[in-house]
Amino acid sequence: MAPTSQAPATTPPINVKLLLIGNSSVGKSSLLLRFSDEQWLPEDESSATIGVDFRVHKMDVKGKKVKLSIWDTAGQERFRTITSSYYRGAQGIILVYDVANRESFEALPRWYSELETYVSSSVVKILVGNKVDKEFSRQVPTAEAQQFATRMSSLFIETSAKTSVGVKDAFQEVVEKILDTPELWESGGKSQSTSNGRGGVPGGVQVVNLGEEKKEEGGGCAC
Amino acid sequence: MTTELPYAADAEVSLAYDELDVLRIQYQKELAQGHVTVQTKFNYSWGLVKSPMREHQVEGVRLLQDIYRAEPTRRRECLYYLALGHYKMGNFDEAKKFNALLMDKEPTNMQAQSLSQLIDRAVAKEGYIGMALAGGAAAVGTILLAGLIRRATRK
Repeated sequence: MAPTSQAPATTPPINVKLLLIGNSSVGKSSLLLRFSDEQWLPEDESSATIGVDFRVHKMDVKGKKVKLSIWDTAGQERFRTITSSYYRGAQGIILVYDVANRESFEALPRWYSELETYVSSSVVKILVGNKVDKEFSRQVPTAEAQQFATRMSSLFIETSAKTSVGVKDAFQEVVEKILDTPELWESGGKSQSTSNGRGGVPGGVQVVNLGEEKKEEGGGCAC
Repeated sequence: MTTELPYAADAEVSLAYDELDVLRIQYQKELAQGHVTVQTKFNYSWGLVKSPMREHQVEGVRLLQDIYRAEPTRRRECLYYLALGHYKMGNFDEAKKFNALLMDKEPTNMQAQSLSQLIDRAVAKEGYIGMALAGGAAAVGTILLAGLIRRATRK
């Protein structure tokens, strides 16, 4: 929605770029699927993300229309180099671990250090402990994770993509905090107006623009 | 509350010139040393396939085919990016073939399902253009024919 000045009649939605990161199999794609499509795939039917997946989702937050570009990255080690190229331009990061998998929690410092390298400190972070439906085999106490999140200046929530507990709240909270963080809009606003500049290459905004161009192109050809 | 699908993010977003350069330099360095790791080769071919330049896409597809043959554990991602590369080049039959191989292995893979829809759309669009061209040609033919008939009847 770059040409805001040309369409004063209807307020264009606010573009927000979110990134899902975390170890393999913690449920990043499942959280996204639950959030955007109200669906859930059992473990044997879901497949590991290849590189990156992407979804656009519109929602109303605090009376404002928000267009979310959500980048769902592969958690597997082999995609690390690839996924890091999608960090740029993100305003919110959703760090996911599996409450029933201690290792995925222990891996978080590595994900945070990656964030330090690729995104600015004003970017909103939320730590999400997923799979609380597996309460019986929980390996990460809520209090411990909450404490860690506070230390890492992150929001914190526990969710289940399977039962949909907390899923909507997780996304809602990040977006609310992003809207309340003016620093993200000073630089973010600029990068949004430069449509296809070299600067914001793997940015969500650019993708939105490409999508629109494609539609126009399609319309032209139909004539 | 709407979600826009299908979408293959890697088909649309390309890397910056210097980002692709980082991957290329690493690849060429290892090539000069006589041993290219699969990871380096894969990263570089991924960057190439994402590029808007056709010669990059061709080279990316070539490298991915190498990896596919040599590394059975990397086949699923190679199939996906091979399909994507061919889709971007407009080789829709090839794109379908590779994507179908991935969907055989993982019928519920949503990325593959999404890519499959994109390919079908592109094929349909190509069909419409073809029809429009054929329709145009037919219209021109009719006009010419009408002209001939008119001329013939005048005589």
